Amino acid sequence: MKVVALYKWARDPEAATVRAGGVVDWGNAKMVAGDDDHAVIEVAKTLAEGGELVGLTLGDGDAAWAVARGVDVAYSVADAPYLADEATTAAIMAAAVKHIGGVDVVVIGDAEQQHPAVPGLLAGLLGWPALSAVGSASADGAKVTVERKVVGNIQTVSAGTPVVLGVAAAGEEAKPPGMMQMLQARKKPVTTLSLADLGVAADQGVTSAGTALPELEGAKMLEGSPAEVAAALVAALRSDGVL
Amino acid sequence: MDFDVIVVGAGIAGCVTAYRLAKAGHSVVVVERGAEVGAKNLSGGVLYCRVMDKVFPGFADQAPVERRITRNYLGFLNPDSLVGIDYHDDRLGKPVNAVSVLRAKLDPWLAEQAEAAGAVVMPGFKVDSLLSEGGKFTGIKAGDDELTAHVVVLADGINSFLARDAGLRTKEPLKHLAVGVKSVIGLPRQTIEDRFGLAGDQGAAYAIVGDCTAGAGGGGFLYTNQESISIGVVVRLDDLVGKGLSSSELHDRFVLHPQIQPLLAGGELLEYGCHLVAEGGKAMVHDLARPGLVVVGDAAGLTLNTGLTVRGMDLAAASGIAAADAIDDALQDGNFGQAAMDGYVARLDQSFAGKDMATYAKAPAFLENPRLFNDYGPLLANVLRGFYNLDGAPREHIIPVFRAALKESGLGITRLARDGLAGVKAL
Repeated sequence: MKVVALYKWARDPEAATVRAGGVVDWGNAKMVAGDDDHAVIEVAKTLAEGGELVGLTLGDGDAAWAVARGVDVAYSVADAPYLADEATTAAIMAAAVKHIGGVDVVVIGDAEQQHPAVPGLLAGLLGWPALSAVGSASADGAKVTVERKVVGNIQTVSAGTPVVLGVAAAGEEAKPPGMMQMLQARKKPVTTLSLADLGVAADQGVTSAGTALPELEGAKMLEGSPAEVAAALVAALRSDGVL
Repeated sequence: MDFDVIVVGAGIAGCVTAYRLAKAGHSVVVVERGAEVGAKNLSGGVLYCRVMDKVFPGFADQAPVERRITRNYLGFLNPDSLVGIDYHDDRLGKPVNAVSVLRAKLDPWLAEQAEAAGAVVMPGFKVDSLLSEGGKFTGIKAGDDELTAHVVVLADGINSFLARDAGLRTKEPLKHLAVGVKSVIGLPRQTIEDRFGLAGDQGAAYAIVGDCTAGAGGGGFLYTNQESISIGVVVRLDDLVGKGLSSSELHDRFVLHPQIQPLLAGGELLEYGCHLVAEGGKAMVHDLARPGLVVVGDAAGLTLNTGLTVRGMDLAAASGIAAADAIDDALQDGNFGQAAMDGYVARLDQSFAGKDMATYAKAPAFLENPRLFNDYGPLLANVLRGFYNLDGAPREHIIPVFRAALKESGLGITRLARDGLAGVKAL
């Protein structure tokens, strides 16, 4: 099978701090792959056994990250900006998948909070079926069989190809690549695609007006004897509708 | 051989070594333990940067530095007073002599320069051990992977377990080590410039002794960045343990001191961290070379606290230059034996770094003097109070004022003279 592993390459959200006033300070946040993406590659690698595993990312992310994890060919849509608009993001991805051509399965992380709709939109734009919350997958001829979490149960589903699989990582990466794998991966070339090559525009008509903290009421200090404080607390909880 | 040279650690010493060797056309890999370059590195924050101009001409103009230090403040802090010498000199900025830096910005820049020169920088890998063969060091082991090279450069910081494993150093005695605790407090640029009397990219550096460490050996520091202040304490470990003090409590005591707190008022805590600091001076610099191996920077024990200046980053850069030049020679000769590697030690000794380490060899012993942290601050404050506190009593001549303050301090004139002389000798 020819499988595309789509991974996200973005500033590490854990390195961001929210400053007074709600401004997000990215400091020197390094670029990292998405939390689900090691699982994406793992699932894609299993399906691509004997076939071809293609890595794809938007932006100028470090392809060595994917290559060291087993990707045969690395593509990036280098001039794709980070977009708030999920439909445009999915459209760029769909165009890249069509450009790569002959793809049987696209695997993409789907637990990301920032773009939950992308995997479904991508499948819709490609006109393929989509399965989300996938934990593992295996190939069976021209079909894929996946195990996915559905309301606390593990469901086994078979699907024909082509298909889009949304993968959720169960935890941290078990064994990140070693130093030699990374060194060798750095030497592999990346095929760079541009928005012009793909014939898509990144003009989304959506702009971010910045970030702000949600409005919070200041803390109240209750004073008096323990009995008075307790009574005042109960009264306050009642009036706020908590009790 | 996988590479000509393997550098362990992407701090200042490691990056300078790698940059120069890569620029000379050698194949170099830098293996860094932190998930990203600069993640694990922490300095008080003043870099005496003239040496960097030798490596990167016009360093202060192209590197991400914070402010150019033109104001140095040396203070004795008491519970309710602060006596200081304020030395503000525009000449210190022309040419730039010292800059404040934040390592999380500077170190990635240095690594980028090394990469642009052709070095491979590999963050996120911890080197577990060194490889050796027939008495020569031949490479490193990280996880299951081995990498080989003609020369390994240990730039792995103050704890340098690799130098210990290689038999180059033993565990340092506590009195050679101090712990630094530092906060970075965010403030608007204009507030910083107004509070510290600075214009444009000028910066201030405070060195303070006394109450900030509750009399323990060490001191407080405060450096202005563009839009933040680096502030903290450095306390000698033996004194910390002996006096049963906590370094984080001393840090809080310093930043909340009524003489210091107004400088930080309204600020926002951006970073908080701690790091070991070498305080042994020359006595801490150990064997630095073995066949196929050299040790640079903090790992080599290259730090210098004179009381007035605390230096480490400039010495690290100087050791990186010396190491790169010696290794370049060795690679051209194809000889990596003890004599070739000792070429690094000879170059280091001849550099300003080696000479300064020798000049200030007595500084650590002088700075161990407990009177410096306990007695001189109150003495100075009491003498000055004798002048300024016009309480209606007739003024006395300076000599009796001084004598009375000296008597109160319990120091005695002979002790004072002896400490003064020791101070002059140490510096």
